[in-house]
Amino acid sequence: MSSETIGFIIGSLFGAALFLGGLADPDKIIGTLRLKDYHAMRTIAVFVLVGMLGTWILEIAGVAHFSVKPAAMVAIAIGGALLGIGFGLTGYCPGTGLACAASGRLDALVTVAGMLLGAWVFILIYAGIVQPIDAIANFKKVTLPEISGIARGFWVVPIFVGGIVALVLTRKK
Amino acid sequence: MEEPSVKKSPLPWWSAGIILGLIQVLAIGLTKPLGVSTEFVAANAKLIKAVDEDYVKEHPLISEEKYQKFGYGWWFNLGIITGAFLTATMIRRWKIQKTTIWWRTNHGTSVAKRFIAGFIGGFLILLGARFAHGCTSGQFASGWAQLSLSVVPFTITMFGFGMLTAYIAYPKIPKIIK
Repeated sequence: MSSETIGFIIGSLFGAALFLGGLADPDKIIGTLRLKDYHAMRTIAVFVLVGMLGTWILEIAGVAHFSVKPAAMVAIAIGGALLGIGFGLTGYCPGTGLACAASGRLDALVTVAGMLLGAWVFILIYAGIVQPIDAIANFKKVTLPEISGIARGFWVVPIFVGGIVALVLTRKK
Repeated sequence: MEEPSVKKSPLPWWSAGIILGLIQVLAIGLTKPLGVSTEFVAANAKLIKAVDEDYVKEHPLISEEKYQKFGYGWWFNLGIITGAFLTATMIRRWKIQKTTIWWRTNHGTSVAKRFIAGFIGGFLILLGARFAHGCTSGQFASGWAQLSLSVVPFTITMFGFGMLTAYIAYPKIPKIIK
């Protein structure tokens, strides 16, 4: 199978799951950010925990394809803040924005248009503004197990178990 | 007219989370972690190339090969659109909507205001995602899957500013069906 075909299949599964899970629903996202509707937060927590456990198992089996992002601490903190403001204003992020537009939400389509403009401005300011900020406090492509010297399993098991216990204890009775 | 309320999601949180997590594991096992926002830059790069090829050739970022081709990531995003469209249609939740329930509760029925806020929000989302080397998928979800150092500052600022902005933009709470 070509990589384009694999990409299309995984993307289709992801788009379907984002929609079925209520992450491609701006009302669920805003409800979670306002701490009034925990559905999306719990979905995201399970998503992250299962991904973390599965990736550790893949690594042990020697079949994980890692793609770690560089830890450019300042650029990432600024980017997270900008994304967070847009996320809190709209209830969309890039993946769910596409999924919501595809489910008939015209406001999501407008947000996707805003994203395309954001990407264009990013290209324009890349050399002058982004690259210098990206160089500040940049620890390169490093993972928490690597930088701490503590093996991945000692990170994954406590986070996974702690997360599942917290989810079970706080569930609706 | 009756006030609309926030509906339940099609799937409960635990099953949706498990499915999303397994898709992440599938992606990391077969190719690479989930990620969406790079292709927005790639789409622009292709448009710019059609107008000014030299600009692209000399650009420190978009001269890279991955911004030039319609490869894995491009088809991944087309997949998201297709998967969401087919699923929404099959479960009869495909519906033209111009605003959201939280927005209506706080800012009334004006679609124009929602669109303006949506456009500005989208601009900030993608600009921020690329500053941060990834979005909620590529940086947050994939960062935690791999336990990257970069996910720590990203999680703090994204959720911190996300919650603060939502608190300011949506003070009134609509009816939520649980």
